[in-house]
Amino acid sequence: MSTRAHVAVIVLAIPVFVFILRMVRQRKLRAKYSVLWLSVGVALVVLAAAPGLLTWLADRLGVYYVPSLLFVGGIGFLLLLSLHFSWELSRLEDRTRALAEENALLRYEVERLESRDDSPADEV
Amino acid sequence: MTRTIVIIPAYNEEASLPDVLKELHARVPEHDVVVISDGSTDRTAAVSRAAGVAVVELPYNLGIGGALRTGFQYAVRHDYEFAFQFDADGQHDPDMLEPLLDRLRDGVDMVVGSRFASGGAPTYQVGRVRRLGMKILQWLVDHLTHQRFTDTSSGFRGFSRRMLEFFAQTYPVEYMDSVEALVLACNHGFVVDEIPVNMRGRTGGAPSTRSIKLVYYYVRLVVVLLTSVRRRSHQVMEES
Repeated sequence: MSTRAHVAVIVLAIPVFVFILRMVRQRKLRAKYSVLWLSVGVALVVLAAAPGLLTWLADRLGVYYVPSLLFVGGIGFLLLLSLHFSWELSRLEDRTRALAEENALLRYEVERLESRDDSPADEV
Repeated sequence: MTRTIVIIPAYNEEASLPDVLKELHARVPEHDVVVISDGSTDRTAAVSRAAGVAVVELPYNLGIGGALRTGFQYAVRHDYEFAFQFDADGQHDPDMLEPLLDRLRDGVDMVVGSRFASGGAPTYQVGRVRRLGMKILQWLVDHLTHQRFTDTSSGFRGFSRRMLEFFAQTYPVEYMDSVEALVLACNHGFVVDEIPVNMRGRTGGAPSTRSIKLVYYYVRLVVVLLTSVRRRSHQVMEES
């Protein structure tokens, strides 16, 4: 990699890392995600600062074209992440559904109690 | 006397509900009625209240499965012995509730009112995609339940207390909930049976799902059915 590209990557990686750090500190991310994204940020900066690392890793794994290792790693990571989000979304949907049901049933009870106060109940 | 309740899931059914409720009251006054308004934006809840039945209003649309599950929870919390699932659009005949109840009293946990149990064929026109889908579905249900059901999608059903308690937690919420519920109940050792019923034509509209969407729904249903056995039992264990 040329020196210029090297510098450019570092310059790009650092703001990303700082942004993640800020979000974590402001508690906009839950702890489980903050650990995840901080690791991503660290990995980005380290790989940008020491491009030899990636080359060395590619060599050890028998990958001839170095950037492809980065792509495979990145795509794999994103795939797992989106799978995780699907799982989390399903769980949240189940929970809001349960809440909606509970809300409806409780609302019915409230209406029933209120109407009982006003007039003699006509139901058992 | 045993307490029984008719559960009517309704999504924007202000037009047909008054007559349905009036008929239920006139023909089978011994059954209580609860309308589950599934996020309706019309006067579904108002016309039901005017008819003097209990109304449970969901804050937004959950789909028929979610509405039914709410109804099952209502029935369980209010100590009903038996419950029925009944359509808001007038295609179910209140006189058929009695034969359903008879089967429940015999100890059946879920009894399905089938349009085709007496050998009748579908009277409505079905397209090629739908017919193929129905065939695959029939085959799948046969193999998953080891029982023959002639009308798996029928929404005219009766439930025992045991079944209600089970479904209050586990009733499927995906499209075609009725088919999945059938497989689910059979796989958990509930006694499921069907009886022939007459159904009236739909008062308004026809099944309007388009082919591509239909294929998608069937594929999804097949996946759901094939995975439902394990998934649901896991979920029940988690919740208990």
